[in-house]
Amino acid sequence: MKKFILISGIVISLMGCNQEEKKPVTTVTPGKKDTATVASIPGSHYTVPDLSPLDIIYYPSDYPLKKMSGNVTAGPLARIIYSRPQTQKRNIFGALVKYNEPWRLGANESTEIEFFSAATIQNKTIKPGRYILYCIPQETKWTLVLNANLYSWGLKQDRQKDLMQFEIPVEKNNTVTEYFTMAFEGNEKNAELIILWDLVKIRLPIKFQK
Amino acid sequence: MNKLLIFFCLAIISSVSFSQTTVKLPEVDKSTMDISYYPNNYPILKIQNKVTEPLAMRVIYSRPLKQGRKIFGELVEYGKVWRLGANEATEIEFFKDVKINGKKITKGRYTLYALINETSWTLILNKDTDIWGAFKYDAKKDVVRVDLPVENITESIEAMSMVFEKSATGANLIIAWEQVKITLPISL
Repeated sequence: MKKFILISGIVISLMGCNQEEKKPVTTVTPGKKDTATVASIPGSHYTVPDLSPLDIIYYPSDYPLKKMSGNVTAGPLARIIYSRPQTQKRNIFGALVKYNEPWRLGANESTEIEFFSAATIQNKTIKPGRYILYCIPQETKWTLVLNANLYSWGLKQDRQKDLMQFEIPVEKNNTVTEYFTMAFEGNEKNAELIILWDLVKIRLPIKFQK
Repeated sequence: MNKLLIFFCLAIISSVSFSQTTVKLPEVDKSTMDISYYPNNYPILKIQNKVTEPLAMRVIYSRPLKQGRKIFGELVEYGKVWRLGANEATEIEFFKDVKINGKKITKGRYTLYALINETSWTLILNKDTDIWGAFKYDAKKDVVRVDLPVENITESIEAMSMVFEKSATGANLIIAWEQVKITLPISL
């Protein structure tokens, strides 16, 4: 573990030195990821893994592992697919991620949230189905937006497809979360979606009906 | 740069504070997850208004790295069912009905496994989704099986890769790792 931390530290500082683009990339080239650091294998159309890797979370947490172990009988209640950028010593909120502008909650594709059963957030009912989730951050609160524009790259939001939005206060952490992180926690039908990056923490309570 | 990327994949977040919160935060896996679409890069085309055909399918998988190891026949054993990646079993989703090996596949989510051998693989489409690995693979939930020849390629692929390519009847799912390449034809 110490070695990992050491390697991780070295790599992060290397990345810091090698960091060529300090600004968020706003242009998209067709057929290419918008993180400039992603390269194809020379002479091949296979890509290398993305610097902001994709990840998936389920509620109940670790559902696939629980299913494998035979610890669940019902299906999952929700899952999120998102990409995980890193701070790499940059200022994130109010700088890389601008206040009052829509942000994809990650990198690359829009963040996808799927409800396998009906849910309630801030007294609004969400039908089972798949949505995208983005946010409009401010210093003291975020507006999380559920939107119907599925399978879209996250640089442009179609605001006409907004379905509902939720205002959430920003909590401050004392330590930096290097990787943009989402996690579900909770107890049976009462879940919380936790979102962490840099010094910011957000909690979105979600109540499942089934 | 490649080396740097690999190192990075190996690096585990050390700065996430576990004391700040009761929830155990997910670490970044060294076999990162990835997603491929057909049409390729559909999400980018979509925001550029360059979509010419609807989204037909996507595959979500984790990408183990070779890291100097012998993969096929050793790390991934012959004659066993493999999750076709790492971590969660590979998920393939069809947004319309398709045909594989002459069989109609209803649109929806499926798990894709592989039973590998030296000269051929059997790809298995299975109904049991949202599951880890191939440890609980249940052949009773198979939807279709396809035997496919192994193509040996000269280039060695470090990270297991999946990509769709257009074909005369639809699209092929290309699976490549180490010096092995598999082509699964899917009729659209």
